[in-house]
Amino acid sequence: MGGQACVFYGAAQVSKDVDLVLLAQDENFSRLLAALDQLQAKRIAVPRFDPALLARGHAVHFRCAAPGVEELRIDIMTCLRDLPPFLALWERRTVITGDRGEEFHLLSIPDLVKAKKTQRTKDWPIIELLVAIHYRENGANPCPDWVEFWLAQARTPELLAELIQRFPNEARAQTSRRPLLRLAFSGESEALRAALDAEVRAEQAKDRAYWAPLIAEFEAFRRAERADS
Amino acid sequence: MTFEEMPDEWQEWLELTPIERFRQSEQIFAQYLAIGGSLDPDPDPTSPFYDPDQWRPGAAYGRAGLRVLRRGAS
Repeated sequence: MGGQACVFYGAAQVSKDVDLVLLAQDENFSRLLAALDQLQAKRIAVPRFDPALLARGHAVHFRCAAPGVEELRIDIMTCLRDLPPFLALWERRTVITGDRGEEFHLLSIPDLVKAKKTQRTKDWPIIELLVAIHYRENGANPCPDWVEFWLAQARTPELLAELIQRFPNEARAQTSRRPLLRLAFSGESEALRAALDAEVRAEQAKDRAYWAPLIAEFEAFRRAERADS
Repeated sequence: MTFEEMPDEWQEWLELTPIERFRQSEQIFAQYLAIGGSLDPDPDPTSPFYDPDQWRPGAAYGRAGLRVLRRGAS
């Protein structure tokens, strides 16, 4: 769902780990644990693997030791902030079929953009690229959902200027949800850049607020594990 | 940023198919490991998962297998 999906979509050239989001079902967890066992994966951080913790938004981190994947990190999650439950994500996923017959199931670009709206500075240039790539690939055949997505998520004055020129009515209809579109109409590029930066800061603040109680739990888990060891 | 504003190298990357990008990424990744690159996450204090106690100094400051393969003319 993370960096590897960005490679497939073109927004990154390499990712050092594998992030998986999966359906929280006992049978699925059994298959996951069997696969991790094959990869000789060991948990490397708190929290421990516990479906109840995953359901609260925690991620569980593993590092592999099997030949060919030594040191590879795998992160597991079952729910993501501000995203719908897994089945909705699965319904609108992107499937890439490889030249060896393998299938890669990726978060859709709109879902990946939402997942990347984090407090991490490095995620925001990726969002900018994902939206630009999606527009490039679908701009010739725009459907209403895509137009709404581009107008809601475009992150540069240049792309916003192009979008409001092509879709002025849709943009006006969306200004109540995204007030900075008014600045794109008026051509106030410096004010628009400032508003885009403010959007990032607001979203980062939301992400920090989401993680604050989880981080408090991390600390408690770390203390407990140190005490146990 | 629009596609036309992207650097040439990035435009070439986007001209590939998704599976071509994945295969190329595998090659880049193999080269990265061959020169001693680390699979530890880059230290990122803005990440909720950042734990300074777990970060191991690695590739960023040079591992035993990391050396300059080629220098540009100066």
